[in-house]
Amino acid sequence: MDFTPSLPIPISFISGSYFLFSIDDVTYLRREHHICGVLIGTLPQIPQQNVFLGLPLQLMPEEARLLVEKGVAYIVDEAKAQRDGMKALMEADRQRYLQDLESQGLQASRLQATRREQQREEVLKKMEKKKATKVKKDSEQKQQPVPAHTDDAPSDLEMFASSPQPAATPSGEGQSSQASVPPSYPLFTHLHSQGYYLSPGLRFGCQYLAYPGDPLRFHSHFLVASAEWDEEIKLMDVVSGGRLGTGVKKGFLLGGVEKNAEKSQAEGQDTIRTFSIEWAGM
Amino acid sequence: MADVDEEAIHLPDSQDSSGQIEVDLSDETQDFRFLSLLSDNTQATLPRRGEKDFEPNPTLYQADGLTASRQAMHNALAYPRLHNPKNKIIAVYAPDGPAPPASVLASKDSSKSDDTHKTLDAAAAAATNIGVSPHACVYALNPKGQYFRTMGQADRWNRVWLLPEEALYLLERGNLEIWWPLSSTSCADDNNQGELGVPMSLQAAYSCLMGRGGLTMERFSVFTGLKRLGYTLLRAPGWDEAPEPEKEGEDLQKDVVNESSNSGPSGLFGWLFQWITDSHSKSINPATGPLIGLGIHRSYREPSLITIPVDIYRRLDLIPWYDPAARKAPAEPTKPPFRVVFHVYKPSTPFRKTAPPEPDFRIAVIDARAQTTLPTLLQLGALLESTPLDPPRGEKMERMLYMRLRHGYRNVILAVVDQGVVSYLRIGDAAFGKEKMYKSKAGLSGPKTGGYSRSKPKAR
Repeated sequence: MDFTPSLPIPISFISGSYFLFSIDDVTYLRREHHICGVLIGTLPQIPQQNVFLGLPLQLMPEEARLLVEKGVAYIVDEAKAQRDGMKALMEADRQRYLQDLESQGLQASRLQATRREQQREEVLKKMEKKKATKVKKDSEQKQQPVPAHTDDAPSDLEMFASSPQPAATPSGEGQSSQASVPPSYPLFTHLHSQGYYLSPGLRFGCQYLAYPGDPLRFHSHFLVASAEWDEEIKLMDVVSGGRLGTGVKKGFLLGGVEKNAEKSQAEGQDTIRTFSIEWAGM
Repeated sequence: MADVDEEAIHLPDSQDSSGQIEVDLSDETQDFRFLSLLSDNTQATLPRRGEKDFEPNPTLYQADGLTASRQAMHNALAYPRLHNPKNKIIAVYAPDGPAPPASVLASKDSSKSDDTHKTLDAAAAAATNIGVSPHACVYALNPKGQYFRTMGQADRWNRVWLLPEEALYLLERGNLEIWWPLSSTSCADDNNQGELGVPMSLQAAYSCLMGRGGLTMERFSVFTGLKRLGYTLLRAPGWDEAPEPEKEGEDLQKDVVNESSNSGPSGLFGWLFQWITDSHSKSINPATGPLIGLGIHRSYREPSLITIPVDIYRRLDLIPWYDPAARKAPAEPTKPPFRVVFHVYKPSTPFRKTAPPEPDFRIAVIDARAQTTLPTLLQLGALLESTPLDPPRGEKMERMLYMRLRHGYRNVILAVVDQGVVSYLRIGDAAFGKEKMYKSKAGLSGPKTGGYSRSKPKAR
């Protein structure tokens, strides 16, 4: 759980989006850097539902950019990396990989078998206990345990996220340039630096949802909308945002970069101003 | 202090006896500790929302809870995909698109060796030759099981070709194993055991299949999201960015006599335009004369005097409207992203892959980051015009005015995707102008008989 992956972490750039495929990276970034992303994959254990989703994790461009700027991650052009990786795959590697999979599969099936065995034994024990409390009718039945299911063929384990990886290094050519981000990025980094967890906010008609802690355990507090300093904001947007926010027990937060940002930055002041709007309901 | 008008907003919902409007749990991140409730068959209820804390505090209790949640999430996500050899389905990735098997190619090559190099055009030609979509790029060698009932296209060699989104979905689910073809690797093919290289990782599958044949992340999010809920999805003719998809069998209204509007704007606009030119040429001109005129001040609805029509209302009918049921001019061409890309079928709809029925829903997918504004009337009108007429039918619709209005005469669903988070909006072309309140028997029937039921109309 407290495992730290080797840094920097590769972020896969595929067809215009940013992804994480390694569970260790996902847990680490969530724990240490408050980056949650959005899980978009199907959970193979329970595939027919949308409440709990699995890997991969999609990162907003803002998140990818932030991580790269912090030096925690770098961006890899995944399609090229995979193609090159496959080209570099020799027959020997292939055999080794297949054998690896085979042995892992066998191990998994053995694990499953023992787990089944344990469960079966537990059930048997319970049954025996029940029987023991009853009057002993027939002692024969107890001495004959049900034969274990031996016809279960070993399952094969498909190993994901560990196919032969190209040796892509941060300095390598696999690293593409920075993620292009919307103009709301300064507000994003500001809130993130204040300890908020941010997620895409379209569901609530805003740009980001700001959570005071990990979204796993906390409800979000703010609907975040970014604006330019001199931008004219429609009163209707303010009212509807404030009203919607109050309706879902959140504040509506407007924010942006202050006009004389460079000057105040030189003085070491914060350059982002934020305002929260609430429907007073008088 | 309770907001009175806010209560009023909620009123329609509370009247819904069927209770269809419930909290969508996937709206917000849920605690993964509840996942065990899902996987445990004895307790088939979903977790309830609201079991979270308001804000962090430095208590150990909270820290423990958070650690437990994260651990549960970690464990759930780290779960490996296991394939039982009994029902394992193996598929091969074909980077160049559909092609006949290598053995067939080899025999062909011996006779005709000039077309060994494969371009995309050649692949497309091959695709049409073997009768599958040119976008298909994964073929299953031993297709079996329920998933191929709604997905895939078979070729002559008993292989089933899957579209990128279908292959990726099955892989994610753990129902399919995609292998790299041996040709993608540098492995020696002297000890050639077929075309299989090594199994593909999920990561590799995303990198190979995403962006292929028009598959964007947004479209894939919609596809898998609905698939997980049990819907059946097919690509619609509007999938490709090609000029204009052909009309889906909508010649019902062709016989409507068309006047001169061929030259003018069509669809919604045509109607508006036409109204201005000739709608009120009946008896009086409200622009120059009095709106109501003389002699009919008391001419409200009077059942005893049938000969006198409801003139006042008719004269007051100033707001232009058009009848969506009567189509006049050919529709405007739709432009991406406001174009139907998926046909969706409810799980209850009997579905045959070879002869798909009329779809239950039509979905256009929109990337919220690329398209930040609401669609214009022109875009929306063209999108609606591209869907077939779907007037409210059935006894319930006849009876319930508000259901009729909500259903509309054409409808389409917009799936707006913001970085993996999908919101669905249903757009219906409601014909308020067709519902003359003054002609109805009891006048305004009110919400009690009108009914605000949100339940979807029954499948036709």
